[in-house]
Amino acid sequence: MTEARTAREAWGTRFGFLMAMLGAMVGVGNIWRMPYTAGENGGGAFLVAYFVLLFVIAVPGLMAETVLGSYTRQGTVGSFRKIFGRGALEGLGLVVALVNLAVMSYYAPIIGWTIYYAFHAVAQTFFQPGFESQPFWDAFSSSATLTVAMHTVTMLAIGALLLLGIQRGIERAVKWMVPLLVVALVAIALRGLTLDGAVEGLRFAFTPDWGYLVRGQTWIAALGQALFSTGLGWGIALTYGSYLRRYDDVPLGGGVFTAVGNTSIGLLAIFAVFPVVFAFDLSPTSGSELTFISLVSVFPQMLGGPVWAIVFFVAFFFAAFTSGLAITEVGVTAISEELGTRRRQSVWIACALIWVLGLPSAVSEGFLGSMNFMFGNWGLPLATLIIIGTAGWKIRPERMRAILLNRNTDLYIGRYWDGVIQVVIPAVMVFIMAYYVITEYAEAPGRTIGGVALIAGLTVAALALMGWLRRGSVVQPETGGR
Amino acid sequence: MGIGAWIVMLLSIVVLWGTTGWAMRRSLRLEDRKLRLLEDQGEIDTYSPRALAELHAWIEAHPDDPYAGEATRRYNECVDVLQRVPRTFYDWDREAIQRLERLE
Repeated sequence: MTEARTAREAWGTRFGFLMAMLGAMVGVGNIWRMPYTAGENGGGAFLVAYFVLLFVIAVPGLMAETVLGSYTRQGTVGSFRKIFGRGALEGLGLVVALVNLAVMSYYAPIIGWTIYYAFHAVAQTFFQPGFESQPFWDAFSSSATLTVAMHTVTMLAIGALLLLGIQRGIERAVKWMVPLLVVALVAIALRGLTLDGAVEGLRFAFTPDWGYLVRGQTWIAALGQALFSTGLGWGIALTYGSYLRRYDDVPLGGGVFTAVGNTSIGLLAIFAVFPVVFAFDLSPTSGSELTFISLVSVFPQMLGGPVWAIVFFVAFFFAAFTSGLAITEVGVTAISEELGTRRRQSVWIACALIWVLGLPSAVSEGFLGSMNFMFGNWGLPLATLIIIGTAGWKIRPERMRAILLNRNTDLYIGRYWDGVIQVVIPAVMVFIMAYYVITEYAEAPGRTIGGVALIAGLTVAALALMGWLRRGSVVQPETGGR
Repeated sequence: MGIGAWIVMLLSIVVLWGTTGWAMRRSLRLEDRKLRLLEDQGEIDTYSPRALAELHAWIEAHPDDPYAGEATRRYNECVDVLQRVPRTFYDWDREAIQRLERLE
């Protein structure tokens, strides 16, 4: 493997970086999962638990991950090489990159769904006489031709934008996509709140049942939402952080704004989605059923429905697409640096890999569910454990904070951060993986054993591969940077 | 809708949207200030008084740490800049800057 051949790009503007981070972390989960999860877990009580975990875990964790990238100025694999030296432990970075590729392989087909629905919203299909949302969804999701075509369109669109690079590609796109997403959700929320019965939706989401605060399940649900929604430890913040400029701050933009801004959009989604769901007497639910079946059936009944359908599905597409850009960029950066390929080649390698790996998920919702089960339950928490564990136990938070985090900062970070990074987040990640093993094993033992074995096998294989590639070469960790 | 729901809803709006708006405004405002200073003088101080004091304390406490050289380099770089530039990004006073010394 050789060093990257191209000069490293950087974000062109602060606003561009902030929007890129926000767009990366805001995904379909903010819109189709958070409102329902809040309503199902004690409403306001869940939100209180969620806010606590957001500020205690997600905000400090994102600071650590972003500053790691800003310091190493490398992608996932290169960062671990700089920290651990050349050898098997570089494989930890490879695990993070592979988890991202795997996640993107089943996220890309979902982005394809949003493109398909955005197209049909524009084409006014939902407003044709005799249109029914359930058969429409069934026809689409059971057609391999359509789902593979949408998956292909997704990867072509992502590849085309990533080819343009960080500034001209990602930054240029997110600078208008993310603000438009916010404006669209505000508009839908204003419309939804003026519907008869909308208050019921707010009551469902916000009425606090304080009894839920003493239930473990509420905190587990809040923890899952805080971790998965903010994208903590996925390698995205590390990769995006590696493109920060010399004098850029990390704690305020990479930590506070990213984590809290992401949740702010989740809150906006509560205002946008649930008033509509309750005003039209739909069953509150989550996931694709809510978005692609329930809400689609509502738009024809709304005054100005065609416009609202376009606004909603285009916004939904933006939310999904900007995350797709970020997850794919993790792979692109790693490929560029590790294979020494030009950006153009790296983009096509990453997109082709994701496209091929994503074909089974595009064709089969069951396969997609299994991938999500394995990588959502254990792959992503493992990536988080690897990144934050490295910050906490290899670089050490006290050192990291004194030398790196409070340099050029817009927000001074105190000593409390050290304990969160070294003890709290790693402990929480181990706990949540163990919790998922125990609870999932009770329901689906075969699938659970298979999932854990796959993730364990992936980790061992990545470490062994890097150890084999580096055999005979002993190079110590590096320190130093801009 | 009950009073509890109203309180949680308003609290959520204040905590989330308030914090996000504040963070974005502050981040963009300070970025503007950094850029103006960089345009005027070509360099800016990299640590606040509190952060530089903490960095100094860390270097003193960990002279043999593998990152000590890197930390010292960054400390000295900030001290040098502070003593060169007419205007600082962080809230430094001239007397404090005069008292700063490079580390060996």
